[in-house]
Amino acid sequence: MPTTTTCNGVRRRDFLKAGVIGGTGLTLANYLKFASAGEVASKATANAAIFINLTGGPTHMDTFDLKPEAKAEFRGEFNPIDTAVPGIQISEHLPKLAQNMHLFTILRGVTHTLGAHELGTEYVNAGNRPLPSLEYPGYGAIVTKELGGNGNIPPNVAIPASRQKTGYLGVQYAPLNTGATPKPGEMFSVRGLKLAGGLTIDAVEKRQALLSDLDKTFRGVEETNQLVKGLDKFGQQAHAMITSPKSREAFDVSKESPNFQKLFGETSFDQSCLLAARLVEAGTRFVTIELGGWDTHNDNWTQLKKKSPPLDSGLSGLLQGLQLKGLLETTTVFVTGEFGRTPKINTTRNGRDHYPRCMFMLMAGGGITNGQVVGKSNADATLPDSKGFSPDDVAASLFHTLGINHQKEYHTDTGRPIMIVRDGHVIPELFA
Amino acid sequence: MSRSIRPWLLTAAAATLSFGSATFAADEIIAPANLRFASKDASETPNFQQHVVPLLSRLGCNGRACHGSFQGQGGFRLSLFGYDFKLDHEGLAKGDKDKNKEPRVLIEEPEESLALLKATLETPHRGGKRMDADSWQYNIFRNWIKAGAKSVDEDSPKFVKLEVTPSEIQFGKDGQETQIKAVAVWSDGSREDVTPLCRFNSNDDLIAAIDANGLVKSGTSGDTHIVVNYDAGVVPIPVIRPVSDKSGKKYPKVATPTKVDELVVQKLSKLGIVPSDVCDDHEFLRRASLDIAGTLPSPQEIIAFQSDTDPNKRAKKVDELLERPGYVAWWTTKLCDFTGNNANNLNINNGYKVDRTQEWYDWIYHRVAKNEPYDKLIEGIVTAVSRKPGESYTEYCERMTALYGPKKEGTFAESGGLTYFWARRNFLKPEERAIGFAYTFMGIRIQCAQCHKHPFDQWTQDDFNQFTGFFKGTAYGTNPRDRKEELALKEKLGISAKLPNGELQKELSKKVTAGEVIPIPELYTTRPEAPKANARDKNKDKDNGKKSAREAPPPSAKLLGAETVVLSEHDDVRVPLMNWLRDSKNPYFAKAFVNRVWSNYFNVGIVQPVDDMSLANAPSNAALLNYLAEGFIASNFDMKWLHREICNSAAYQRSWKPNETNKLDQKNFSHAIPRRLPAEVALDALKQATLSDAEISGWLADNKNHMTAIPGSVNTRGGGAGNGAGFALTVFGRSTRESNCDCDRSMEASLLQTVYMQNDDQVFGMLNDNKGWIRSLSPPPAKRAAPPARNGGEATKARRNFETLLTNAERDLKKARKADKESEIKEIEQRIVELKDKIKQTKEAAESKTEEPAPREVVGLSPEEIIKAAYLRSLSRLPTDAEMETSKKFLTQSEDRLSGARDLLWALINTKEFIVNH
Repeated sequence: MPTTTTCNGVRRRDFLKAGVIGGTGLTLANYLKFASAGEVASKATANAAIFINLTGGPTHMDTFDLKPEAKAEFRGEFNPIDTAVPGIQISEHLPKLAQNMHLFTILRGVTHTLGAHELGTEYVNAGNRPLPSLEYPGYGAIVTKELGGNGNIPPNVAIPASRQKTGYLGVQYAPLNTGATPKPGEMFSVRGLKLAGGLTIDAVEKRQALLSDLDKTFRGVEETNQLVKGLDKFGQQAHAMITSPKSREAFDVSKESPNFQKLFGETSFDQSCLLAARLVEAGTRFVTIELGGWDTHNDNWTQLKKKSPPLDSGLSGLLQGLQLKGLLETTTVFVTGEFGRTPKINTTRNGRDHYPRCMFMLMAGGGITNGQVVGKSNADATLPDSKGFSPDDVAASLFHTLGINHQKEYHTDTGRPIMIVRDGHVIPELFA
Repeated sequence: MSRSIRPWLLTAAAATLSFGSATFAADEIIAPANLRFASKDASETPNFQQHVVPLLSRLGCNGRACHGSFQGQGGFRLSLFGYDFKLDHEGLAKGDKDKNKEPRVLIEEPEESLALLKATLETPHRGGKRMDADSWQYNIFRNWIKAGAKSVDEDSPKFVKLEVTPSEIQFGKDGQETQIKAVAVWSDGSREDVTPLCRFNSNDDLIAAIDANGLVKSGTSGDTHIVVNYDAGVVPIPVIRPVSDKSGKKYPKVATPTKVDELVVQKLSKLGIVPSDVCDDHEFLRRASLDIAGTLPSPQEIIAFQSDTDPNKRAKKVDELLERPGYVAWWTTKLCDFTGNNANNLNINNGYKVDRTQEWYDWIYHRVAKNEPYDKLIEGIVTAVSRKPGESYTEYCERMTALYGPKKEGTFAESGGLTYFWARRNFLKPEERAIGFAYTFMGIRIQCAQCHKHPFDQWTQDDFNQFTGFFKGTAYGTNPRDRKEELALKEKLGISAKLPNGELQKELSKKVTAGEVIPIPELYTTRPEAPKANARDKNKDKDNGKKSAREAPPPSAKLLGAETVVLSEHDDVRVPLMNWLRDSKNPYFAKAFVNRVWSNYFNVGIVQPVDDMSLANAPSNAALLNYLAEGFIASNFDMKWLHREICNSAAYQRSWKPNETNKLDQKNFSHAIPRRLPAEVALDALKQATLSDAEISGWLADNKNHMTAIPGSVNTRGGGAGNGAGFALTVFGRSTRESNCDCDRSMEASLLQTVYMQNDDQVFGMLNDNKGWIRSLSPPPAKRAAPPARNGGEATKARRNFETLLTNAERDLKKARKADKESEIKEIEQRIVELKDKIKQTKEAAESKTEEPAPREVVGLSPEEIIKAAYLRSLSRLPTDAEMETSKKFLTQSEDRLSGARDLLWALINTKEFIVNH
């Protein structure tokens, strides 16, 4: 379960709360514009993605978008340091990532307008501005649906749990939540995957055949009932996983070589990153990891000194690990919070508050040109320098790396046509 | 007819209206502002609250991303979503040189006001152009500035309500349009057409799109609401477009045996949705048993019910189920969810060791069991205090200590109110309490209003702040007044005041078990003091005490949407709060509970999400919600009346099988929605399905070992569950009871749940349990000569031991061979053979962690009988012919019938039909 609550103390969907925002409907003109734009030539090389959700909204100005020249009431306590890529600087509390700057890309000046945790989280987890009448599926559900499973390995895994919804795609595309995070060097497994009761595969297959013969009561309503459809899918997936030693071993981080394990620290985030790399190698399509606690209204810098090191070591380990396994080209890594934080310091609390107008995101692998900064914020990091990027653009780019056409149209179970990403454009600079 | 949106304000304002009506004829409606201010020469002075602020909202100026941001934008800040008139007025009219803020208005030269120059893009504006020069919007701002840019004052009329017409929209075909008209009613009796000043939203723009001017356009079929916002008014207007040609006069005749059915079908007929038929007896029995009592029906019960010819047998069954302990346990669990019974939040320092979550559970259980009226039950929570009237601190401690002492005199449940509700760690600050109180008892979310006007409801920040006043005087701990008595008690016990908390708790627990009186924390309230004029004032205004009193008004708090209460007039300020809550005119209290109970039976509430009864989130069937709430109040808050009223309706008893018109309906109760069983119910059903026939009756007779009897929250390691069920309960989404949200419970299906059902050791344990059905099918196992090691761990240990002995023996053998000692060699060789055999045995034992029962034949039961029994205990019905054939074939092909029966039961509990209530 997610362990960090945000300042509201509430994690809820607030489904109808989005009412005031509304959304521009997709007009035919819009659609034609998208269709003819040609966007960016496909350079898709990825077949899996790892999504790291920094919940709470990490401050951009004290991590990946420092403004040492800004006025004192904006600047903050931290200093920038040079990275492996000349000309790029990040926070002094992210030294390992600085050394590995050539392995990832920073997006600066990403911008939106939803400054509430739930809505912002929903936005950056789906790449569509939340609507009151429709729940959008998160990236994991789309990737699972588009790329399909890979043998008996669960296609969508969350360590330990995910905030992504399955929306109109239905619960069948929901992630497998590991429920726990691995500990360094210890065996790790998802409970229930080991054949129970000393059963043989034969016995299980026989039993399973009986089950599928008898489980017919709801036959015919699958198309209108997502619960029935989802349970069917889970039944097949569970059976495949239980009977496959490969799927059990995919979770067992202790089976990694010591050399590989050495790349990661001991925090649960580090170990989750290690597991993510292992799962992707085994064939998982989408892994979600959550690292929370970024809602730094109070004592921003004291908190960041604690929050930065795990991110620094876990993410560095992940990027190096993927490279070592030769998986960085085929795996897209995407790191984001729900928004940035106010560039102007809240002096009464020595903190920074919610600020969606300017934020950072990180991307790596999957055919993206690593080792660059894409986009730019203005002098005091209050806005993008020019037009900036929307979360929709970044989502479109994520799908692009995976060879998924983000303009593809689905139909909801009430027959409503809806594009995967309604308003986004692939960011060409990411692939330059 | 128009909908009034602030019933409370309306009654409060009635008196004012009669004063002001002299100046305004009741039916005279002031023309809309876009007409009155269309001309440059319009001379009318607009009002800040009535025109200027709504226009700021309408133009988007006070949005979160613009000037509504808490940091402001470009040196200009407005309150987010409006309603902080002081802040808004200062933002516009006053500057601050030190902070680099210029005034936005220039009274001497209105046209040169920065606000106008920016909004018309005469000077650069990051927010772009918001209006044209000389537009009616422009003229409103200009005239307001020209007349001195005045804010609201005490004499300004107050907002009473927003009347919107039409009150309901029915579309029939594409291209249809309807114009919304909104009239604001003010406390001076004036009525103004404010349509151009409103903000409009659609809850589903596919069904009904609405433009900025309030023109609604027909879309696809279905039903939704459009929402009109003006000032504190939020008015939802239902929009319906039938899904079939069977609506209105063409609607077929549908039986409506109860008032509930009448109201449900009324809505369905507008939509052209024909409900499904009433379901079979077995479907009803399974559904009602799971929904009402949280358990499956027993096999005997199913047979008896099928053959019962009484036409009232369903109503009788509902009555019977409501008398079961399972009903009490399930609704105690639900009420523990809503009230937040969570162990982490009850970890009270300076206490003695007692399971407070159990006491909390038992307190509610005690009351649900005797069907105490809901309002009385809630009163026991809202106005809880620890002490009885006239009781001293020491007397209180004596009384409570007796509960925990060796004699265990009485119980917490009978000793008074549910004080722990107020002792929770996340319910200490007045703001937390205001939010939690509104959530638990009123089903509304007011947290938005803590910082700004609620964007989807009527609540303003002022409403929120004034409401917190009721939550200030109540605390859990030791009243400072009683410190001395507490110290004396400790001294008597020989407990040092400096003992650290952990040790103190241990000491106190020891003493209380020994029967000694220990200090016990209590819930107490303090009466708010009326202000005293301070000494300096007294000297200054010796003869004018009245004036001082007026300068410092007595402490007061305002009920949400209702009157102000002078707090210093009440010993316990929660008493007027409770009186207001249970008042029949309270718009939330009864409805919140009715809606939660309804959603238990229909998968969705009449308002959904269930705990979001905000104005913008309108009920799918308002007449139905009103009827049930009024009936619930009229029944004197009889919870069982409510359950009966719902369960005896045809609407509740409909089949899950949909027809062409209702297959997409999820919220109008036209058929049963298949839904996953709640965590506790799912696991209890699993347990019951695997119990032997003999055990089932006992299982249903009390709540022993039921998941619904677990008092507090649980964690994945089994903490709080006491029987290792924490993991399963977490996987199936038992409420975490952490935040003020019904969504703390998850009803979603997940892969891990299926993995659990298919392959978890716990499930195999149940299937193979000694008291289980499978074991009961065969005679007790004969005693084996060498029982296998009990579990893998012990077997492994034994094996290692044998392996060491083997190594030793082999070494001895070499020695003996060297020395050529014939007799020794033989003896050692024999030992080695034995050891190897033992190692092999222990190895096998370790591998089969949960021992399979040895293959044995089933005695006394035919395959048909086994199959029927398996179906009845799991799916609560008999098998169809095809199912019987398939199962029989499986049993005959099994190694033996016992393992065949086990596999059959395994398959049945893994069908969708088992885990889904339908």
